[in-house]
Amino acid sequence: MKWTGDLAHFPYPFKGSTYRYSNNSIPMKQPYCIEVTSSYKKEMLFKRKLLSDHPERCYQSLPHSITGQWEIVEIVIDHLVSQYPQDFSIEQENNRWIFTNKILDEKKEFIFGEKNSLPCEPLFFISQHVQEDLIYMRQRDDNLYLDAGQLCFPANWSLAFNIGMKFKSIHHPIPGFKEEGLDQRILQFLMRLEAGTPWERLNWSLMAGDRLDTSLETFNQWGRLRKQVTSENAGELVHIRVEVQKLFRLPRTNSILFSIHTHLLALEQLATNIEWLQQFYEILSELPDHIVEYKGISTYKKAVLKYLEKQLQQVKTL
Amino acid sequence: MSMDAVFIEGKRKYIFCSDEHGLRVLSSVFENVKKEKLAYEWYHFSAEKRECLEEFLSKQKMGTFLYVELPYSELHTVQMMAKRIGFSSDETQYFGYGEKWISIFCCRCHELNRAEEQQTGLTCHQCELKLEVSDHYSELYHAFLGYPATG
Ligand code: HEM
Ligand SMILES: [Zn+2]
Repeated sequence: MKWTGDLAHFPYPFKGSTYRYSNNSIPMKQPYCIEVTSSYKKEMLFKRKLLSDHPERCYQSLPHSITGQWEIVEIVIDHLVSQYPQDFSIEQENNRWIFTNKILDEKKEFIFGEKNSLPCEPLFFISQHVQEDLIYMRQRDDNLYLDAGQLCFPANWSLAFNIGMKFKSIHHPIPGFKEEGLDQRILQFLMRLEAGTPWERLNWSLMAGDRLDTSLETFNQWGRLRKQVTSENAGELVHIRVEVQKLFRLPRTNSILFSIHTHLLALEQLATNIEWLQQFYEILSELPDHIVEYKGISTYKKAVLKYLEKQLQQVKTL
Repeated sequence: MSMDAVFIEGKRKYIFCSDEHGLRVLSSVFENVKKEKLAYEWYHFSAEKRECLEEFLSKQKMGTFLYVELPYSELHTVQMMAKRIGFSSDETQYFGYGEKWISIFCCRCHELNRAEEQQTGLTCHQCELKLEVSDHYSELYHAFLGYPATG
């Protein structure tokens, strides 16, 4: 899916001329866990199709996550309604809630906290109204566990495999993460996360193609495009994939909501901003091999660099 | 998984689950339980009775302690079952014998495949995707993740 919004609103992820793994979280300026963009309708239809065609791949939960799931329903609706009052509304009469989504022309009535008043689990229900993937991390015994999640647009990982997993185990595949003590530091940071003070961070990667659903399960469908990248087609084919990740403490269950909003931008669009072009070229040229390898860029990094060089030369001769 | 079964005092009941080959590690604890005249029950395990075991374990009351000695190929399933039912790690001791298997979770179809401990690659027996064994481990499945094999 292509970036259709204003380029100035693209969550461009880079600072400086090098990139390393670090805790790059910052306190949020606007404390909302969701955002509605111009591709809302298209993405919602796509997400719902994935949820109904591949429920096991896109949705997982453990039995004791239900209370936390309701807390997510509450915070997401609250943020939708306060940020976009023209598009979403909620009527509450005791525990009887009527949620209206005007963009999709839908009205949903349910009893808050009453599982049987919805046709599906609470997290599944609310995830059908937001572009974000929603992950529920439960805190117990000084640890965080992935106890429920709705994930339609993963960057090459499997929710079904990761269900029930501890924070550090989830991050086990990332090279250097443990060795540098980053996993422990980030875990400590998350355990200290306070209600009312949410944080956000940007994660980035490159991909061949413009699919949002790059799940590990479907790797054989989208992974082979990597081999087709050339310096001629890179501008169109290769996309920078940026995840806006937000972290909210849920006070009642003392758990964490981790929301992921994925944005894709073709390199040719990125290259229209000359500062971005120059900076991204420097970062990619310098990027350590283990990060290049982990992000899956190895096969086509050379082609992308060549493409970026060409663009830079054109700018300089103008 | 520890090497020797350790007698844990003060439980309301002791369950021993094993097949006819796997009584070596449990016998000393069993002697202890008998000597002290504590409540116990043997569950004679066989692969066909796997589902009955689930029913049997579900019926046990709080304070029951579970000792299991089985071939490695069966042990993980029983471990997962007991965990699902609600036996915590302080209420169980597991001992494996025989050939040691590991489970590989297929990244495409989620099937658990058996592999030998040193094995680095395999073909998923359900969806036939070629898998590369990783060291990414799930305690819930007791399995390592199999990624799509490259090259
Ligand atoms: C608490 C919620 C979080 C969850 C559920 C989560 C989950 C994940 C998952 C599933 C992956 C992919 C691992 C794989 O290859 O299988 C990942 C990658 C990563 N995570 Fe997290 N994460 C969380 C929070 C964080 C935070 C707070 C940070 C840093 C401050 C962080 C930093 C990273 C980094 C650097 C990567 C590698 C990304 C790349 O190179 O593309 N994560 N995370
Ligand atoms: Zn398979």
